[in-house]
Amino acid sequence: MATNAIDQTRRMLSLVTYLRERPGAHVDDVARAFGITQDELISDLDVLPMCGTSFRGGDLLDIDTDGERIWWHNPDDVASPLRLAADEATALLVAARAVSTLPGLREGDRQALLRATAKLEAAAGEAAGASSRLSVTFESEGGVFADVDRAISERRRLWLRYYSPARDELTEREVDPIRLFAVGHTYMEAWCRTSEARRTFRLDRVAEIKLLDEPSEPPQIELRDLSEGLVQPAAEDPEVVVEVGPGGRWVAEYYPHDSAEELPGGGLRVTLRTPDPTSLRRLALRLGRDGRIVSPAGLAVSAREAAREALAAYGPHDGRGPDPVA
Amino acid sequence: MAIAKAERLMNLALCLLGTRRPLSKRELKESIEAYLEAGNEESFNRMFERDKDDLRELGLVIETVENLDGDAGYLARRDSNRLPAIQLDAEEAAALGLAAKVWQQARLAGAASGALQKLRAAGMPEAEDPYAGGQHSALEPRIPVHEAAFEPLMLACRDRRPVVFEYRKATAARPETRQVEPWTLECWRGHWYLAGWDRDRGAERVFRLSRITGKVRSRAGAFTVEVPDVVTVRETVESWAGETATRSALIKLRAGAGYPLRSRASAVRDLGDGWDELAIPYGHGLDAWLVEFGPDVVVLEPADLRADVVDRLRAVAQG
Repeated sequence: MATNAIDQTRRMLSLVTYLRERPGAHVDDVARAFGITQDELISDLDVLPMCGTSFRGGDLLDIDTDGERIWWHNPDDVASPLRLAADEATALLVAARAVSTLPGLREGDRQALLRATAKLEAAAGEAAGASSRLSVTFESEGGVFADVDRAISERRRLWLRYYSPARDELTEREVDPIRLFAVGHTYMEAWCRTSEARRTFRLDRVAEIKLLDEPSEPPQIELRDLSEGLVQPAAEDPEVVVEVGPGGRWVAEYYPHDSAEELPGGGLRVTLRTPDPTSLRRLALRLGRDGRIVSPAGLAVSAREAAREALAAYGPHDGRGPDPVA
Repeated sequence: MAIAKAERLMNLALCLLGTRRPLSKRELKESIEAYLEAGNEESFNRMFERDKDDLRELGLVIETVENLDGDAGYLARRDSNRLPAIQLDAEEAAALGLAAKVWQQARLAGAASGALQKLRAAGMPEAEDPYAGGQHSALEPRIPVHEAAFEPLMLACRDRRPVVFEYRKATAARPETRQVEPWTLECWRGHWYLAGWDRDRGAERVFRLSRITGKVRSRAGAFTVEVPDVVTVRETVESWAGETATRSALIKLRAGAGYPLRSRASAVRDLGDGWDELAIPYGHGLDAWLVEFGPDVVVLEPADLRADVVDRLRAVAQG
């Protein structure tokens, strides 16, 4: 990640404090302590000797490195630990509070987090105030979460009954869990032994879960990059075009899409891709008069047929409007 | 080559932290090479003001003091800039390390690692990899921020600055201009919401950030309404989502279908003919949800829900 000048300045100020206490510190240790790469650290160390209280008077930081260890030859007391900025306190406190409310979190971790949060609030003083203006709630299924967490740490296989909204059905499968993550909802990334493929499961769709005695042996695969978004349609997935009126604009908020063109009258023409277009029959039914599937044609037809079949259970006098068929 | 901004900021910070008496702008210019190279007085002044603001964003408390001859002098006193003593053990450090990773938004991610670095410099012990050894939860929580309006609104909430933005309500054809005193931002189910005072409507409102179109602009002046102690974003959003049901509905559901309906049913009865009868909470949006199940659901009562579902089905059936 490219470092911006603000982040780099912040880091260099802390670095100076840190180095003062540790003459001859090792480059790899310092980089690890600061959560940066060695290259980033070296570029900070290139800047620091240009900094000081007077470039003319030669009053500059005499910090140098041979690439392995770092020496500060004229340490001074400018380097006392700095107070937290409002954004820094907010970023850490909001995250800590959010994580501490996760129902499946282990008690030891929760207690450590609560202790740290209290100390941090005290140390941040006034800067902590702004953190109340931001809050995050994670959703998670406590019981299911605890079982998945245990399966991961004990490296055991899981049996699931899992709900697929696309097909409105429950399927049973055995999976080797890889990790848990929370992005709004809580998910498990796992290797599905039933389909021999990587699958992501949303925990609130797990209807039943059991820890098995078999060991979990997921193949070595690269973890998904969560910053890309959870749903990543493949280029070869079939395209679906949906036209919605103003009342159906939410489609563009809920479905990752390739494009959303404005239509006259406040509607949208949304183009998206999905490996299984039949799974969008639900969407077509839900939209009602707020939108329609333009293509593929088969999907629009199947929604129409499903609606007609459903209407057969009702009489001609049901509904608010006149029944056009009766 | 122009002197890098980080170097300039660092020099200004060291000058201000290093001095025991206020330094005038002239003195700072003489001490910092980048300012001498800044060109004319006007561009130096602009640069200097921006740099001071940037350092304040980093948490530096910079005082402006008038000198005897009436000139402004600047200094960052050690005692007002020092972090109060904080003792964190390795477990607490590990917990904070995990928490700091949740932000996927650049500004907050930078601020969170900056906070950890300050704590580290102040002696916070180093944590081992929290996932090694299986003693910690294997969870990786992430807070998504995809909305462009997030950062300007976060700053406006922090600084209590009124804002104006274009907002398109869920079912509106066109966006409308809203003038808002922003109170808090809340993330729920992966989406961000803003609660604040809507000046034109003279009432508290909740906005979904993804429905803000265009830029969020700051307005001069202060809030006109007192910020309440408790702001309830989540309750409002839950009622939008139909989760605050006050009534109950009776439906027929085909056996084996509609697991999510079953999982929130208060009563289920097997009708013996391949159908079950379920009592489920009836809140806003239930009609649209039931229609998704097509011919696997038949609404029995109440009559208004039955009518809504039939109307929706007819709209689809007509294509």
